[in-house]
Amino acid sequence: MSNTPAATRRLVLRLGALVPLAWAIALLFVPYGLLLVQSFWRLDHGVLTPGFTLDNYRRLVGTSLYPRTILYSAVTALWVTGGALLLAYPLAYLLAFKVRRHRDLLYLAVIIPLWVSYVVRAYAWKIILGQQGILNGLLLSLGLIREPLSVLLYSRWAVIVALTHIYTPFALMPIFAVLEAIPAPLREASQDLYAGRWRTFLHVTLPLSLPGVLAGATFAFVLSMGDFLAPQLLGGNDSALMVSNLVWSLFGVAYNWPLGAAVAVVMLGLTLALLTLTGALERGGSGR
Amino acid sequence: MSDPLLRLVDLSKRFGQVTALDGISLDVAGGEFLTVLGASGSGKTTTLRLIAGFEPPTAGQILMDGADIARLPPYRRDVNTVFQQYALFPHLTVRENVGYGLRMRRVVRPEIEQRVTEALALVRLGDLGARRPRQLSGGQQQRVALARALVNRPRLLLLDEPLGALDLKLRRAMQLELKQLQTRVGITFVYVTHDQEEALTMSDRIALMRNGRLEQLGTPEAIYHRPRTRYVADFIGETNLLAGKVLGANGGRVTIEVGGATLRAIAGETAPSAGADIWLSVRPERLAVGPRGEVAPDRNQLDGVVTDVVFMGAGTRVFVTLADATRAVAHRPPGDAPAPGTPVAVEWPVDAGVLLRE
Repeated sequence: MSNTPAATRRLVLRLGALVPLAWAIALLFVPYGLLLVQSFWRLDHGVLTPGFTLDNYRRLVGTSLYPRTILYSAVTALWVTGGALLLAYPLAYLLAFKVRRHRDLLYLAVIIPLWVSYVVRAYAWKIILGQQGILNGLLLSLGLIREPLSVLLYSRWAVIVALTHIYTPFALMPIFAVLEAIPAPLREASQDLYAGRWRTFLHVTLPLSLPGVLAGATFAFVLSMGDFLAPQLLGGNDSALMVSNLVWSLFGVAYNWPLGAAVAVVMLGLTLALLTLTGALERGGSGR
Repeated sequence: MSDPLLRLVDLSKRFGQVTALDGISLDVAGGEFLTVLGASGSGKTTTLRLIAGFEPPTAGQILMDGADIARLPPYRRDVNTVFQQYALFPHLTVRENVGYGLRMRRVVRPEIEQRVTEALALVRLGDLGARRPRQLSGGQQQRVALARALVNRPRLLLLDEPLGALDLKLRRAMQLELKQLQTRVGITFVYVTHDQEEALTMSDRIALMRNGRLEQLGTPEAIYHRPRTRYVADFIGETNLLAGKVLGANGGRVTIEVGGATLRAIAGETAPSAGADIWLSVRPERLAVGPRGEVAPDRNQLDGVVTDVVFMGAGTRVFVTLADATRAVAHRPPGDAPAPGTPVAVEWPVDAGVLLRE
């Protein structure tokens, strides 16, 4: 057969394409499927019992703890999203338009923290915000306070600050990409048509960067809403716990897998709905 | 000429070590269509960007009505620009694009609406106002860009290769239309292009640039028929360049020696001295190709052999290799072409030859 090498190569390529597919099936779709199935199971005297019941979902909706925690997580995630955008946008703007030399280096400086383990970054805030921490030390030595503040750490705000720090690069990257792609003549044309720098930003740069802002906001919101470690490390008391911590304790401490699975499924549904919505907004925005 | 609308005085621009513009001085009269012509890197676009205000000059002045605007930001200049790739705002409709400048100047809404409608009618785009730029063809986008600038009624309109992205046929049509439009609205145009044909078609005057300097400034006719340097003759249109030596000058006539033959030509602006190396430029349409023989008193003649005859529709191009191996080209009417290999003489009137410095 004359086409053997080509046929072999095609076969190898096809098999090669199967690897990521198998990976996604084994590690993504199968666990999600199991989660969905288990959310309809029930706990019979502490024993996981297969079956089909909507009890878990009824309990989820009926107990104020679960909707409240989801809402609480969403509001926390909103604060994080707002903070990340406020930090990321000006920085992305500077990188895209103002910095000429060392631009790649500065961009790298923004990205490098992503290479540091998440736990290390969350833990760093413990060191900064703790009773014996850097911030308290600074405030003490400045004479602004007499005794170390204990409210800095183990609060909702500690979680928000840490999550903002951790997810700002995720918000920055899409914003920077969009800003950088705006052709320079567009901003020149605006100035040529009597708009100063501020009005050029308001009428040209900002509207054209909105798809990036939306993408960055989606990243920051979805990632921080599902976050689990920062509230665990920095949230302290139970009132500052987020929905992921709840799922974790349902699976781990309470051994109520069906209820935990139901909460997880609801969260997954909410997240997918949000992604679909922002995706549609982005397409609508650019397809006009 | 009354006081110029725009006057560039010794304008220079350096980018780091690179000198993009090296001391340009130039007057533009009100209502004039001036084309800044040059190869890429000649400084033509830099000139435009300095006038628009996108770059500050390194040295020199930009006077508009006598006032130096060189340090004003673009939004404080009574100048508008039509950009090379149009630079239309993709998130705004055609009407919003055209009305942008008026809105930024805080013109009242009814007046904006009226002037936008007029401007769109002027460029014959009346019914496309609700579209987005990406829904328009290249030619239509070009018109929107034009309307967006003209609607502000600037004193001066800058155009940066506005037809460069269009195909040849559309470009020809737009050349005429632009010229007519300019005459109608009476706005001064400074038009940048690398296309010499475009420059010849539309301009009142052409400023030909080379390496950041002004090589020659004049009407299209003057630049075509009386180029000052070899570069200009070569850049504008097609020409035959013959290398020669000056033998002597007598009155307005100069005798030169080209490849062993003695020729006569009209002295240019500078009377060349005997013994100087010089170029003789003769346009192809002034060259006749015929049998060798007597030379008429007011004509020059060189012997050669026809090498190629190229049919071009409206005429033929006859390539002749001269005695000194130089290739000459003549444009002849159809049917007036000897066969390749024929020994011939090329002939031209003495006043058709222009003497050029290097």
